[in-house]
Amino acid sequence: MSEIKWEKSISDVNSEILVNLGKPHKMFYVALAVAVTFLLIAVGMVAYHTCVGLGVWKGFAPPTYWLVDITNFVFWVGIGHAGTLISAILFLFRAQWRNTVNRSAEAMTIFAVICAAVFPAIHMGRMYLGAYWALPLPNTNNLWVNFRSPLFWDVCAISTYFTTSLLFWYMGLIPDLGSIRDRVTGIKKVVYGILSFGWRGTARQWHHYETGYGFLAALATPLVLSVHSIVSWDFAMSIQPGWHTTIFPPYFVAGAILSGCAMVYTLLLPIRWMFNLEKFIRDDHLEACIKLTLLTSTIVFYAYGIEFFIAWYSGNVYEWAIFAKRAAGPYSFYFWTMIFCNCIFPLVWWSKTMRLNKKVCYVVCVLINVGMWFERYNIILSGLVEDFLPGSWGHSEPGFWEIGLTIGSFALFFTFFLLFCKFFPIVSLSEIKLIMPKPMSGHGKGGH
Amino acid sequence: MSKSRGVLGLFKHLDTVCNAAEKVRGRHDFKDHEVFSPTSYHEIEHSCAYPPSPVRWFTFVGAMTGTVTGFALALLCDWDWPIVVGGKTPGIYSLPAYVILGFEFTILFGAIATVIGVLVMCRLPNPKATIFDNRLTDDMFGIWVPGATVDGPQAKFLKEAGAVEIKATH
Repeated sequence: MSEIKWEKSISDVNSEILVNLGKPHKMFYVALAVAVTFLLIAVGMVAYHTCVGLGVWKGFAPPTYWLVDITNFVFWVGIGHAGTLISAILFLFRAQWRNTVNRSAEAMTIFAVICAAVFPAIHMGRMYLGAYWALPLPNTNNLWVNFRSPLFWDVCAISTYFTTSLLFWYMGLIPDLGSIRDRVTGIKKVVYGILSFGWRGTARQWHHYETGYGFLAALATPLVLSVHSIVSWDFAMSIQPGWHTTIFPPYFVAGAILSGCAMVYTLLLPIRWMFNLEKFIRDDHLEACIKLTLLTSTIVFYAYGIEFFIAWYSGNVYEWAIFAKRAAGPYSFYFWTMIFCNCIFPLVWWSKTMRLNKKVCYVVCVLINVGMWFERYNIILSGLVEDFLPGSWGHSEPGFWEIGLTIGSFALFFTFFLLFCKFFPIVSLSEIKLIMPKPMSGHGKGGH
Repeated sequence: MSKSRGVLGLFKHLDTVCNAAEKVRGRHDFKDHEVFSPTSYHEIEHSCAYPPSPVRWFTFVGAMTGTVTGFALALLCDWDWPIVVGGKTPGIYSLPAYVILGFEFTILFGAIATVIGVLVMCRLPNPKATIFDNRLTDDMFGIWVPGATVDGPQAKFLKEAGAVEIKATH
């Protein structure tokens, strides 16, 4: 990839990438209007069921209760993973294509984790009482949380993940906000001046910045692998057939990266077009993202297969009953949607022509997002709907409220992302300059 | 005298600024000079020959504090009110479960300390930062010499070293 010829030089970077600060494409307003409309509807829905109670949800009944909340929570946490993978792990591996997509992928991570955090909040029903349970002070009974509970590990993991991702993202933004400050005038100059903390771009500052960025990447790398492992332990640490399995952590991490990479592509293709960034976020960068999606898709395919095999091979009738029912029971539609979207459709990408065909890639990436949502729905549903007490078995289908709130979370995500695209550099200005040809005089010492 | 008074030499090319930075290093009349770059080129870092950044110590101390805090939080709560959950004895016997807390706190404190380290070492936030030239965060390199004048020997040296523009800063 280092041999690729660039049509642009570093002098074009600031002027051409920061076009988003000017007047955007009219499609931008259309997209923002749609996202904000759905968001407002969702806010109204949340306000309503906060007043009247969660009983208005069709599926809010034994045995599944918060099924769609949990699904959305796991789905959105998973979406965030590609951002950290791209920004931290690919940074350590020095994969150059990440320099063009890391900024928007990191932003995606933060917004996805915010979307995930919405669901534990709204599942409480009367959220205004939730503040006490989140921070039970005064702790009159002197009772502490159960540190051996996977749910508490999850709270620690997600909070750490959000904080670290936010710090990582903002630290990367500081030099770029300095670049914006030096291009704009008036009140914008003051605002971006404050946001950039007074960054000047001295070699000494870059020296400390680079060291810190490397350490943050090194810290975020094990973190990204741990977060979805811990999310998977919410299920795997129980003794529920279909959940209690050691394959869950790697399987969840691979699935998270699959859905995240697909979401990166889903977001970047229209954004690249809207802001004329084709010369910077190039086709080969998008193809690299597709290759990563294909890799994780094959890992997920393998995990689905081995999970089924072990359910049969173990000879555990309860385990096998859950799996047989997933594939051939009343919820088989979700299962086969998951298989086709996550495993079968991505196989087209073994062909380079298909990897470069943006329409095909876009459709498959959207389908992967659908498939990954159904994967979580499928896992959580099958575990909850039939547990150890046949008397509590039931049937569950998502209703208007669950579907509406799911759409609302997408609206929240897209609203945040579109606003980010309007006010911040979509591509990291300082990092893309590093992978472009260095401005050399052609004579004298050429550095290292 | 204003602290930002001096001379700024603007360079267009990476190799020229690296050569100049290497030559001015250690020169008495270039004391406290600053090199500017639009991005983190390693060539400039090598030319300036900075010692390893102390940010690593912030990271290390932060991460270790996090490890101790994570384990201590769980163990001290157990000590204060021991509860057997799921047949598991609290305290030191539940240590495997607390590895997760130790790990997460290591990352959290390490990341926060790293960012604090970068801010401290870069002297940020700096509300009084003087921006010498808007092109320094775009595509130009620069060497700034405090206290120098446009007709002094430092400016002459920068010009000879390949600076495309020399300007006085106030």
